[in-house]
Amino acid sequence: MHQFFPDFANAGTKKEASILLHEITFPDYKGEVLARGFKQIVSELRAKRFDSWAWYSLANKADELMVSQQQTTELLAIEYLKERWKQVGVVPYRHQLQTARRVIFEMQGQAILADEVGLGKTIEAGLILKEYLLRGLAKKVLILTPASLLWQWYHELYEKFGISAGIQRSEWDWAYSDILIASLDTAKREPHASQITGIPYDLIIIDEAHKLKNSSTQSYRFVNSIQKKYCLMLTATPIQNDLKELYNLIGLIKPGQLGSYRSFKDRFIKDKRTPKNPQELKGLLSQVMVRNRRDEGTIQFTDRKVHPIVVSLTPREQELYNKVTQFVKERSRQTGLQNILPLITLQREVCSTFLATALTLEKMMLNMEPDLLTQVADLLKALADVKQNSKCDALERLVSELDDKIIIFTEFKASQEYIRYRLEKAGYSTLAFDGTLSRGKKQWIRHMFQKEAQILVSTESGGEGLNFQFCNQVVNFDLPWNPMRLEQRIGRVHRLGQSRDVHIFNLLTKDTIEEHIMYLLHQKINMFETIIGELDAILLHLNLGKSFESEIMKIFLAYEEQEKIKERLDRFGDHFLKGQAEVKTSTWELF
Amino acid sequence: MQQLVFDFFKLCNVVPVEIRKGVWQVQADDALMKELDGWRAQGRLLQFTFDQHSAEIYGADLICAGSYRLNSILQVIRKQGVLSQAHIPHHFFHEPSIRKKILGGFGSIERAYVVNCSLQYAQYLQFEILVEAQGLQKKESIHTVVVDLSSGKALKFPLPYHLLKAGGIPKEMLRKRKCSFKQAFANATAYLHESIATGDHKWASEARHKLALEEEKLREFFQGRMESEEFATKKQELQQRLAPVLRMDALRGAIIMIPLFHYHLVVVENHGKEKSKSLIYDPISNLYLQDSN
Repeated sequence: MHQFFPDFANAGTKKEASILLHEITFPDYKGEVLARGFKQIVSELRAKRFDSWAWYSLANKADELMVSQQQTTELLAIEYLKERWKQVGVVPYRHQLQTARRVIFEMQGQAILADEVGLGKTIEAGLILKEYLLRGLAKKVLILTPASLLWQWYHELYEKFGISAGIQRSEWDWAYSDILIASLDTAKREPHASQITGIPYDLIIIDEAHKLKNSSTQSYRFVNSIQKKYCLMLTATPIQNDLKELYNLIGLIKPGQLGSYRSFKDRFIKDKRTPKNPQELKGLLSQVMVRNRRDEGTIQFTDRKVHPIVVSLTPREQELYNKVTQFVKERSRQTGLQNILPLITLQREVCSTFLATALTLEKMMLNMEPDLLTQVADLLKALADVKQNSKCDALERLVSELDDKIIIFTEFKASQEYIRYRLEKAGYSTLAFDGTLSRGKKQWIRHMFQKEAQILVSTESGGEGLNFQFCNQVVNFDLPWNPMRLEQRIGRVHRLGQSRDVHIFNLLTKDTIEEHIMYLLHQKINMFETIIGELDAILLHLNLGKSFESEIMKIFLAYEEQEKIKERLDRFGDHFLKGQAEVKTSTWELF
Repeated sequence: MQQLVFDFFKLCNVVPVEIRKGVWQVQADDALMKELDGWRAQGRLLQFTFDQHSAEIYGADLICAGSYRLNSILQVIRKQGVLSQAHIPHHFFHEPSIRKKILGGFGSIERAYVVNCSLQYAQYLQFEILVEAQGLQKKESIHTVVVDLSSGKALKFPLPYHLLKAGGIPKEMLRKRKCSFKQAFANATAYLHESIATGDHKWASEARHKLALEEEKLREFFQGRMESEEFATKKQELQQRLAPVLRMDALRGAIIMIPLFHYHLVVVENHGKEKSKSLIYDPISNLYLQDSN
């Protein structure tokens, strides 16, 4: 019996596959005879190393078994992963399996996976990768992702698909590792780029592929120059602003699918965002793009139930809130809108806890002019005098009424600590979760939350290791002003795998800015009860990506009267809804 | 599949014991566990079952299509037996009958008698060849081709495998081969190509059709830039993905030794003239060969 040794000799790329003994051309196909197996036999012959006939016969049977398993036109990966998925609790969805089948059997491994957010594009890509590996169609694989997602990909591939990929760290990795995960930003730079373009890859997977929408960028040119047999591009927003972006993306995986740019423009572009001949274009796109949507009925999401809890501040708290708000408005008038960010933070904190407000004021004092210091000191003194927190009192009452696990979201670390202090004092077991924790600690806390504690107090709404489908109660202790962050919070529990309706409790303080925010996000945009697909696309379309909070703050600072603020927020909400409709009715009808 | 697993453990000299209904246990030593689970693994009692229910209840390793344990076993097995040897013992054939048959072949005009008889073994090289037909999809099959190392020809009939005995024959009893191993493999693959060429090539024509369509689209995209390196690269990628290829690779080989009965005869012609003659009888192909050695 031969001993096992790692196959370092074959770690190279071209070495193994390219050694041909001879080629014959037939009328219908090309015949290739590979040298690898024969050379191995001859070397054994020369060394007179004969294995027993029993092993030979058994090995033949094993070969036959392996080959017979591969003859199916079903996905091999399903059978292979059944046991693992059972262990790690993965339930593949019908649309994910269908997508994998379509990409492999109809699209010949060239596809844009453009499912809406949260439908499992990574699972689909992992499934396709596994299938290609099992069928022996892919060996050299490169996964290009944003740097922040490297480890997420690594863990997903290992845990859910049993694929041990490497994470690129040095320039040697490109040639050495068969399955490599790398950051696109690193890969496109020298000395890496020239190495990568010299390697013929079997499969390239590009996550967040909308970053390649512009054909004149370095990233685009780099990806275009990689030699690849199969290519998967993952993006929830194949078009953000312009149909040309879609043309460029498709040009990367299947140049010519939409003709030359001139003919594409003539045939399919009415204006930047509106297609001509949408049905014809849709037909062409469906050959290279798979887009599963939440509202197609194939994926059943549970309901979101919203429970607003209005908290009345005590007169003292209200007075303090007014004082801080006044301070924010005065400061903004003095400094203008350039340094609006700390003021937004302060305004949001005053709706959360006074502890958070006090800490921010303390920090602000470090860079403050002397004449303002007394004013801030007075505010701090007043904050210290307030012994009651009505919002936390309301939270305690709410928690006492809920039995099951609860995630409480707050935007601020100080509030997180205060909430935990209050709840622990009231006899509840709590855990803290925030973005500074390592991945291991996050996993551990998730595990502890699932098994031991009742309450998780989190300051982080997005990011890795944050899927809590076992919990169906979310409390928004304070509201994020950006709908994207709000959706990320809810998305932690309301995602594939959640079997119960999700209850969202929003604590909002009466007669504060929170009332307006709640009005905008809940009544106007209906953020809580419906999942707004393409939220990022809408924000980008309206140029509100990073300035949503600033826009709200500007309205709030510009007007004193509550009615006026409401009217302006109404207009802002209408603007958002119009953008949503535009995004939906123009290009999205293509998919 | 079950038989394969039990045969594997038998060849590894470990005996599976059925500890519960449908659950087996083997005492796997360090070496075996390292083969199965990598260099970190250590010897242990390995429990396995073919039933999902038992696997869940007793925590035994499940062996079913795609399971980790079956794959690890298959991988170990497939690394073995790259080359082996076997022979058909000469005593399986009744020599007096062969002799009678040879002498009877001279008919009534000539007479012949055997001066001496000797035994040699002819060498055949058997290849297990994996054939991949890569069109729009990939299809694999395994073919066995046996090449006579004396003539270099591929056999058109199957060997009587039931007569094979493991192991080789002393070198001095082997008939010298006249065909190199490389030539033998070339002949084996040529023979396979020939036999496949007569089959259905729908897979190839579908792929060629698709390739032609895609190349047309690519030419349209690169209109006016068809001399560019990028066009050549993209075209090559397309070819790699869609061009129909029939790929062959040897998985394993075996030297098969088959007895040859070598007769030195004297033939007495009808006018009394005697002539010596050498004949070789190949009992497998039932052919008489002129001895050219």
